[in-house]
Amino acid sequence: MRDGDRPSQCCLLLSGWACRYKLLSEGRRQILSFHIPGDPPDLQSLHIQTMDHSLATLTEAKVAFISHESLRDLTARFPGIAAILWRDTLVDAAVFREWMVGMGRRSAFERIAHLFCELYLKLQAVGLAENYRCPLPVTQADLGDALGLSNVHVNRVLQEMRGKSLITLRSHTLVIEDWRELLRFAEFDPSYLRLKKRAMA
Amino acid sequence: MSLRLQPVLVGTGSHDTDSHFVFAERYLVAVIVQLSDDHDDEGRWFLEAGFGRIDDPNAPTFADLDEAQSWIADQLA
Repeated sequence: MRDGDRPSQCCLLLSGWACRYKLLSEGRRQILSFHIPGDPPDLQSLHIQTMDHSLATLTEAKVAFISHESLRDLTARFPGIAAILWRDTLVDAAVFREWMVGMGRRSAFERIAHLFCELYLKLQAVGLAENYRCPLPVTQADLGDALGLSNVHVNRVLQEMRGKSLITLRSHTLVIEDWRELLRFAEFDPSYLRLKKRAMA
Repeated sequence: MSLRLQPVLVGTGSHDTDSHFVFAERYLVAVIVQLSDDHDDEGRWFLEAGFGRIDDPNAPTFADLDEAQSWIADQLA
C-alpha cells in the first residue's frame, strides 16, 4: 500500500511483520512504526480515505483484508468493537509520541533500548515472546530507518549492548539478558502500551 | 576547493577510531572515521560529523579517502 492510495479495505496482520513508512527523495526512508501479528496497521484508512504514508511487509506475512463496508457495518452494530478499534488507534498514537520523544531527545543507545523493550512487551502480549526472548526479523538498516540512526551507529550500539551483557542478537532472535538494566537505560515506562501487567517485574 | 586531511583519533566509544579531520582551507568541515572489523563494511570511511553543508544524516560510506574527499568537495561546490 502506497502513499496516496485510496484503499477500500483495512488489513489485519495474521503472521509476519510489517512497517509503515514515508519515502523522501534519494531513497531516504523513515519507518514510522513496526507491526506484529494482531495489528491492524492501516485502520485509519477506514475514516481517512487517502493514505498519507506507505505500508509494507518486512517478512513473509499472512494478511487478512476486511472491506471498509464490513467494518463500518460491524462498528455500527457493535459499539463495543468500535470502542476497541478507537482504543487501538489511541494506543497507536501513544506509541508515536514515545517514538517522537526518542527521536528528539533520547541518545542512540536509549532509543534502541526503548524499542527493544517496546517490541518485547508487544510480542509477549500476543504470545510471541517469553523468557526475555523474541523474534526480531528486521535488519540493522530497518532499525536505523525507524530510529533516525545511521547503520554505523546502530551497529555500534548493538555491540555496546552486547558488551554490557544487556542483549544478544543472533539469527533474528533478540535475547534480553538483563531486562531490568535495559528498562533502566531506556527509562522505559510501559504504561503507554496499555498492556495487562505480566513480566514487568 | 582544496581539501586537507589531518589524521586524528576519535573517541567514538567503539573500535572505530582511525580518523581524519577534513579541512576546506582554514575551516574544519568534516570528521571521517574508518570502520573497524565490527562492521560488515570494514575499512570503508564513515562521515562521523559534518559541519555546515557537510552536515548530512544520510551520507554514504566511502571506499577510500579519495572518494570521501570527492563527495565532500561536491557538497561544498
